[in-house]
Amino acid sequence: MDQVGKLVDRPRLYCNVDGVGELGAGFMLLGFALLQWLQVRAPEGAIWHRMDTSCIYVGLMVLAIHYGSKAIKKHITWPRTGFVAYRPHERWRAAAISAPLAALMVVGLSVSIRKYWDLTTPGALIGLAFVAIYAYGFARAVRWKWIVAGVMALGSFVIAFLPASLLGAVANDSWVTHPVRAELVGAWLLSMTLFGAILFVSGGISFWLYLRHTEVPAEEGQ
Amino acid sequence: MNPQVRKIADIDRVIHEPGRLMIVALLSAVARADFLYLQHETGMNKGTLSSHISRLEESGYVGVVKTYRGKVPQTLLSLTATGRRAFEQYRKKLKAAL
Repeated sequence: MDQVGKLVDRPRLYCNVDGVGELGAGFMLLGFALLQWLQVRAPEGAIWHRMDTSCIYVGLMVLAIHYGSKAIKKHITWPRTGFVAYRPHERWRAAAISAPLAALMVVGLSVSIRKYWDLTTPGALIGLAFVAIYAYGFARAVRWKWIVAGVMALGSFVIAFLPASLLGAVANDSWVTHPVRAELVGAWLLSMTLFGAILFVSGGISFWLYLRHTEVPAEEGQ
Repeated sequence: MNPQVRKIADIDRVIHEPGRLMIVALLSAVARADFLYLQHETGMNKGTLSSHISRLEESGYVGVVKTYRGKVPQTLLSLTATGRRAFEQYRKKLKAAL
């Protein structure tokens, strides 16, 4: 990419200058992991197995992420390093990139499970796809985040190579998992927890560093 | 004149100045940004940044809106349609010339 191209790219990377993007993504993954954990642990007939409860839970989580991020931007980021409003097509850019990738991951998962009936290949592939998205979205802006990407890749390989009995035990061999194999649910639950925790910690470190290295300029107007 | 040299001579001089190029390039990727953001990204002081913005505003490349964030004055900047076209042309001409 030429120097002008790099400049044009900077506002996109500014989105996570305070680590809020990672904090939001980590919060969402941990939230989904918690919901799934509640579903596999709760007895049959518990509210966690009802569709309306899941919808309300996800809705509240999305609202918390949306308004939480907005509040941090409004009260901390914009007064310190400035305000940016993205062009409408930029907002859809992330969705346009992530939707085909997510579809590819689901297709890859289905094909490899049907073909090999093991979790190693799809588990590692999904982990690597997630790491690739993270590297493009976050790590290319900050050098130390490549270590985070490396930890994520390593973690996804470890989960992919865990014994099936252990993964099944994580999912509690619950009746919820009967339509799909318990190992698959266990691997999914572990992956979401791992990626969510890593993103949350990485975002938290970024946020702390941002607060340390920036301050609100004296109010003399612009 | 050599066509290659002519291409270089045709480059938009308002945008070609490094400080203004930074401002236009940053604004090209957003709907609008405030003065503080540009100051933070470009590393320019207020005076220099203001003079570059005035030059771009005179050329019709940048729109400036003065507003308030709470009680603090805020200057919002955006690239106009003319500015966006000029920047695209500039990038094409620069690529062709180099």
